[in-house]
Amino acid sequence: MTDLASAAAPKMKTSWWRDDASEPVRRNLGLTGVLVALVVIGLVSAPDTFATSGNVLNILTQASAIGVIAIGMTFVIIGGGIDLSVGALTALSAVWCTTVATQGFGGGGMLFTALVVGTVAGTINGVLIAYGRLVPFIATLAMMVGARGLATKISNKQTQPVNVESINRLAENKLLGIPVLVLIFAGVTAVGWVVLNRTTFGRRTVAVGGNAEAARLAGINVRRQTVLLYALSGLCCGLAALMVVAQANAGSSSQGDLYELDAIAAAIIGGTTLTGGRGTVIGSLLGVVVFTTITNLFILNNLPTEVQNIVKGAIIVGAVLVQQFQPRDLFRKR
Amino acid sequence: MSALSRRNLFFGGAAAGVGALMTGCTSNNQAAVPATAPAQQSSGKPGKPITIGFSAPAADHGWLAAITADAQARAKQYPEVTLKTVEAGQDATAQRAALQTLIQEKPDVIVVLPFDGAQLTATGRAAMQAGIPVINLDRQFSDELAFRVLIRGDNYGMGVAAGHFIGERLKTAGTSAPVIAEIAGIDNLPLTQDRSRGFKEALSSYGFKVSHRVAAEFTIDSGQKVTANLLQAAPKLDAVWNHDDDQGVGVLAAINQAGRKEFLMVGGAGSRKAMEQIRADNTVLKATVTYSPTMSGSAVSLARLIANGRGIGDLVELTVPKEIRLASETVTKDNVADYIGLGF
Amino acid sequence: MTDSADTPVDGPPLLTLTEVVKTFPGVRALDGVELTVRQGEVHCLLGQNGAGKSTLIKVLSGAHRPDAGQITWQGRSVSFADPQAAMRAGIATIYQELDLVPDMTVAENILLGHEPRTAGFVRRGAMRAAAHTALTRLGHGEIPLGRPVGRLPAAAQQIVSMARALSREARMLIMDEPSAVLAHDEVSNLFRIIRELRDQGIAVVYISHRLEEIRQICDRVTVLQDGRTTAADLPATTPTAELVGRMTGRTLEHVFPPRPPRAPSGELLRVEGLTRHGEFSDASFTVGPGEIVGIAGLVGSGRSELLETVFGARRPDAGHVLVDGRRLKPGSVAAAVRAGLGLAPEERKSQALLLGEPVQNNIGLASLSRHATAGFVRRGAERAAATEVADRLELRPQDVGRRARTLSGGNQQKVVVGRWLLGGTRLLLLDEPTRGVDVGARAELYQVVRSLAEDGVGVLLVSSEVPEVLGLADRVLVMREGRIVHEARAEEIDEHTVLDLVMAGSLLEGAAQ
Repeated sequence: MTDLASAAAPKMKTSWWRDDASEPVRRNLGLTGVLVALVVIGLVSAPDTFATSGNVLNILTQASAIGVIAIGMTFVIIGGGIDLSVGALTALSAVWCTTVATQGFGGGGMLFTALVVGTVAGTINGVLIAYGRLVPFIATLAMMVGARGLATKISNKQTQPVNVESINRLAENKLLGIPVLVLIFAGVTAVGWVVLNRTTFGRRTVAVGGNAEAARLAGINVRRQTVLLYALSGLCCGLAALMVVAQANAGSSSQGDLYELDAIAAAIIGGTTLTGGRGTVIGSLLGVVVFTTITNLFILNNLPTEVQNIVKGAIIVGAVLVQQFQPRDLFRKR
Repeated sequence: MSALSRRNLFFGGAAAGVGALMTGCTSNNQAAVPATAPAQQSSGKPGKPITIGFSAPAADHGWLAAITADAQARAKQYPEVTLKTVEAGQDATAQRAALQTLIQEKPDVIVVLPFDGAQLTATGRAAMQAGIPVINLDRQFSDELAFRVLIRGDNYGMGVAAGHFIGERLKTAGTSAPVIAEIAGIDNLPLTQDRSRGFKEALSSYGFKVSHRVAAEFTIDSGQKVTANLLQAAPKLDAVWNHDDDQGVGVLAAINQAGRKEFLMVGGAGSRKAMEQIRADNTVLKATVTYSPTMSGSAVSLARLIANGRGIGDLVELTVPKEIRLASETVTKDNVADYIGLGF
Repeated sequence: MTDSADTPVDGPPLLTLTEVVKTFPGVRALDGVELTVRQGEVHCLLGQNGAGKSTLIKVLSGAHRPDAGQITWQGRSVSFADPQAAMRAGIATIYQELDLVPDMTVAENILLGHEPRTAGFVRRGAMRAAAHTALTRLGHGEIPLGRPVGRLPAAAQQIVSMARALSREARMLIMDEPSAVLAHDEVSNLFRIIRELRDQGIAVVYISHRLEEIRQICDRVTVLQDGRTTAADLPATTPTAELVGRMTGRTLEHVFPPRPPRAPSGELLRVEGLTRHGEFSDASFTVGPGEIVGIAGLVGSGRSELLETVFGARRPDAGHVLVDGRRLKPGSVAAAVRAGLGLAPEERKSQALLLGEPVQNNIGLASLSRHATAGFVRRGAERAAATEVADRLELRPQDVGRRARTLSGGNQQKVVVGRWLLGGTRLLLLDEPTRGVDVGARAELYQVVRSLAEDGVGVLLVSSEVPEVLGLADRVLVMREGRIVHEARAEEIDEHTVLDLVMAGSLLEGAAQ
């Protein structure tokens, strides 16, 4: 009887630092460190411009649309999937909600259209994966190509200017001195955190991604959960599309280009594992902000873009390497 | 709720088609009007039936869309001309395959805007060897034997025109040590480098230099993004040149969002929307330097002349010249009425 | 039947194991194994599930290193660092799950890793020749060298695997239940090949559960029980009764909780004619409230599949499952869970647990909505409930905030049982509940299961360890090759009888001899 306790005893002696409870903190610590380093670089290299409230809000505004997408992506990846179609869904939603007819319904109609288009397309992804048994990579790759094509067709390769003032002013509007887009991003992040950590939906997401067979044998409807996850990602794309449209004052099938890579990269450096079952909303938030800050720093210092991409690549590799040095992680199999 | 959404989506989709049709008609008709008369003068009455093969990249960009649209509109004006457009797909390889199929069909002339001149040179040469004259649009093949006529814009000239416009304005205003920014397009393209070189050299003749340079990707998103950051980097600006009016939609959005208006801005390429803004004169956009997609319409006309073995009417030569380079013109509020028909 | 008798071998020992010990956390898998294999003999390893056969194979093939004891190979003391080292020394292992590359050709598979080559280029002709030689030695030169292995039948794949061993000049071949994947006539072909190899001087270590096979093919038998050699170098003619006796007789009398005197009454679960083609057929039985019903059978007898089908995780081809007299929707786990069924699956880690999640979340997984309001998990309520369950099951450590991964096997199993306890399960399906659980923890688990039964929970238990089924269950079903072949009250049947029924009836023949 006592041997049971002794079997686990050695692990009980470990410090808080190595304990499970500190894991989310440790995971995000590396990324926070990177962010701090970037801020220091910014303060040193562009003392007059970097630390102004205008620039900080600018960074957060630039991060907002891709951030919303990254939150949706985080759920999909934690649920054991991947969504390559987010960029294309953003373009499709953006184009569809800026057609002349949709604009006739005003800002509310545009928002509604963007959300519905994104959610429906995401649901199609989910159904193909859960019921059509397609690999997520394939299903969303097909959606990526197809949705971008449809967006191009609807827009007929034309940029669709927005004449709805409420949307055009959305990117300028502020509430208590904070841009509305940033507030939307903050809101989505907060809701994402609550849903992941405090709801049955979040629990099921972790269960399905961490061990689909265990979830199934515990009576969880794995397929339905999968569909919901991709629909959620699509919903986020729809919302992000409206934010992109508000920023550009126009809709175009070229919008959202390569957003899938940015969103996946942000989630990964934020500590979400591609094998599923683990990840944090806060980590993805930090990931997006880190990337946006790098872009900002390079422009503030008038540096060429190619170097920026090299630095981004290095940070992705570095962040993931740091995470892999977490001592007990390697026990996760497959 | 579902009923509403369905109606909403339906109308949205339908209207997209209508809207596109309308813009297509207006811009092309107006573009074609001033050119119609001389075309008929020089070519005379309809001759034998002519088939012109046409291929251009299918990119999501207003300028490229206008290239195809202008060629088609021009071809419609000649009853004996059939324009056979082949889908060029998404990259040079796909375009090569499409062109090879086209060569098999033996059109009278091929008009091609290659994804990449160097990568499609061999294909152009193959068409020439098969006895099909090739009209090379904009992006030059690396071998002169690969085309019969080259029609292109002047990227270096664009930069020069933008540089001179900005230089003159700032000199007139008496600005000393002005802060000038440049928002380039995709940075690794030779055309971007040519534009930047022209801009830099023209400015230097006034003793000015580019203080901030950022590169976007010819898309609205990227234009908005880099400009928002640029405006943070430069709290005060005197002038901005944006290489491309398509990405300029995002550039202007970012400028409006930041509430900045202390500088003047020059666009590039000459989109209809940019010209309308210049005419309205209610934004920082004061001019644009053209790089006109109408070259594809001219290419169709030249193709018809070549097929009939004729030269250009007012010229002495009996055949069409080997190379035509469009001048980059500066469109301002003063002359915008003349150009707005050519905007894409 | 006894071809082996006419080729008595008494060559020099090729391999000798002395006092070999291998422990894993909480388990002493090998506890003093003695084994001598001579050149040119077929040596059988016999033992029940959990006797240590698999671990022994892994030690011989270099996959595990022993903690203590000595291995002598061709007169020299050796210690294989990895499977490659064992292979170089001349020991080849053919696993049940053949380790062939299905998309590569027969010839490529046979020469995989030691292709004849010149300056990095594979000499294809030489490769085909070598592959052909190896196959011909096995009497199967007709197997097409260029065909992808994945398109060959199982028997031919096995021969390819053996040819690979031959091409590496193996001196000893370890075969883990090779007949399990073969049809009857294929087995006799396999035996012919094994005899030919033996006559060529190659030693074969043959593992099987089927006693009649052992009589046909083996020269000598070594019996393992609980990681220990209970009989070494028995002649193959040893009476079956004696062999079975050496495999059984564990001292487990203190381990099992006493059965309650009352006879369970009523009926909770009724299974009628349940069939899945190729897995099991026409299974009918009942489980009453508070009753523990055990199913004994070998791996592959269809017992786990039966359990999963009852639970709705597999869809039956025929028959149905009734709970409280009402039919369950076939193939629906959700319906089974709603009706009060809960499954603790065979592979705890891959089928039941979220290893990276806290115990609380694991226990709460099947009853998420019970501790939630409008989709929000009431974590306090869930924690309290999970802690209560943990107390009742004497989970150690008791802290439900720990990750499931940090728990021992026995406590992980308690977490899985606790999940269903929390969910209000009335019928618990347990598939190999004590796999990977050490002896002390087993006793606790048995206690838990019995006390659940005393509270009125019905239990359906599957185990390949016969003593466990006999010790814990009130009633025993014996499965063989997908059919329930016997049913008895636990007191009325003994280990010998069950083992005999399970191992295809050879005991009764043997005893009659």
